[in-house]
Amino acid sequence: MKKLSKRRKSNEEIFEIKWKTDLPYRYSIGKLAVKFFEELKEHRKIMGSKCKKCGKVHFPPRAVCADCLVKMTVDDMVELPPKGTLEGFTVVNYPFTDPSTGGIRPFPYGYGLFKLDGADTYTMHFVNETDVTKMKIGQRVEAVFNDKLIGDFTADIPYFNIIKEEK
Amino acid sequence: MDHFEGINFSEMWTGIDAAPGYLKPVVKIATGGTTGSSLAICGYHNIASGIYDKVLVVGWEKLNEGGATTGIITAFDPVWERPSLAGALGPLALMAGMYSAKYGITPEQAAKVTVKNRSNAANNPFAHLQMPDITIDYVMSSQVISYPLRLHDCCPQSEGACALIYANEKEAKKITDTPAWFHAVETAHYYTFGTDDKMYDLPTATIASKKAYKRAGIKNPLRDLDVAEIYEPTSWSELSWTEALGFCKPGEGGKLLDEGITQMSGELPVNPSGGVLSTNPIGATALVRVAEAAIQIMDRGGKRQVPDVEKALAMGFGGSLWTEVMILGNEPLR
Repeated sequence: MKKLSKRRKSNEEIFEIKWKTDLPYRYSIGKLAVKFFEELKEHRKIMGSKCKKCGKVHFPPRAVCADCLVKMTVDDMVELPPKGTLEGFTVVNYPFTDPSTGGIRPFPYGYGLFKLDGADTYTMHFVNETDVTKMKIGQRVEAVFNDKLIGDFTADIPYFNIIKEEK
Repeated sequence: MDHFEGINFSEMWTGIDAAPGYLKPVVKIATGGTTGSSLAICGYHNIASGIYDKVLVVGWEKLNEGGATTGIITAFDPVWERPSLAGALGPLALMAGMYSAKYGITPEQAAKVTVKNRSNAANNPFAHLQMPDITIDYVMSSQVISYPLRLHDCCPQSEGACALIYANEKEAKKITDTPAWFHAVETAHYYTFGTDDKMYDLPTATIASKKAYKRAGIKNPLRDLDVAEIYEPTSWSELSWTEALGFCKPGEGGKLLDEGITQMSGELPVNPSGGVLSTNPIGATALVRVAEAAIQIMDRGGKRQVPDVEKALAMGFGGSLWTEVMILGNEPLR
């Protein structure tokens, strides 16, 4: 059988240039997400947005309901509990450059899709488990908050824990 | 694709020099995984609209020099999605797990897809991974890349290019006696935000294929199509996509494979070329599907030729879960 060829031959010289540079850019996150981060930082709350027309609860909060094309404002934001149910999961076990840091993202790491109680859309986030035999669709998960909150999604809620509890 | 190659305005390198575009109107199209099928569909519109008589459509990728996973992550929301998203394979792993949980598809059935496609690839001189002796055990003992995906459940990173000549009816007759004719082209995407999707199936493939079948007069795809070249980034995807394309009912992709229907000797061979699991130069990958469908229609497939092909389906799939479907035929659709 033909084997996968190695990406680089071991005796091949790799020419490497290293430098450090700042690449600042602005990203307008929108009014609803600003409200989310304010509530997270000041009151340790998780806020989604609820469509006035169909009642669909979006988390992360969205400014427009994709189903009815109705606009939502900060007045349509609702608090969600920090608990949810796992709908899908994986454990990433391969190296790649993280565009947010420029370095290799630490692996293995678990992440999943879950619905916060009361939300109708999936949330995608890290799950604090790398043993897939301990993970199952339908498990309950709970957000883990950092002691000091700074208004940054992954810094303030670094991951969700799998918890033993019936819904 | 610029963000996969790490080169901005890559058409300046390829469109003018490598593809002979000097003093000609060069258009660059990049839509992620669907790049090749978007190219194919735009090529069709350029000819069908009467604007041009002949068009050269080129898709290519040189993944060894770039970082596709890194580039793909930058396509997603910087606040909510990028931190945990792991390029294409992470979400495809989530989809595979959710699909298998919903329908009881087994890892053995997924491994069988790789065995089918990589042994088909042994008949294709252009395929990257040709493995005539590959076994289910070999696939199932390979390293877990992102559960439930193992190394050999995943497409490779390839370097390659694909070019197709498009012509109107008058010009086509000067070029070949056996042209492949476009019967239908369809694009479907309904993406608003990643986490809105159900993830256990591919609704855009259902939407696009239903429209294409209607236009091409196909009532029963399994019976009316002679071959299909589909864009399966993982073994699990092929099982799910065959359902979405209407070759079988939802949840029956594993059964369809087990019954041998998608094998070379089956009623509807899927991916005689070896598919994406064998060869994946991303910007060319979906165009290769169209080229292979045309090769089958033109009876130029050599060892991978399916006998008597009159109608062929080609499919492109991309990162925001969108699908492009094309139907080709051996006679013009009147």
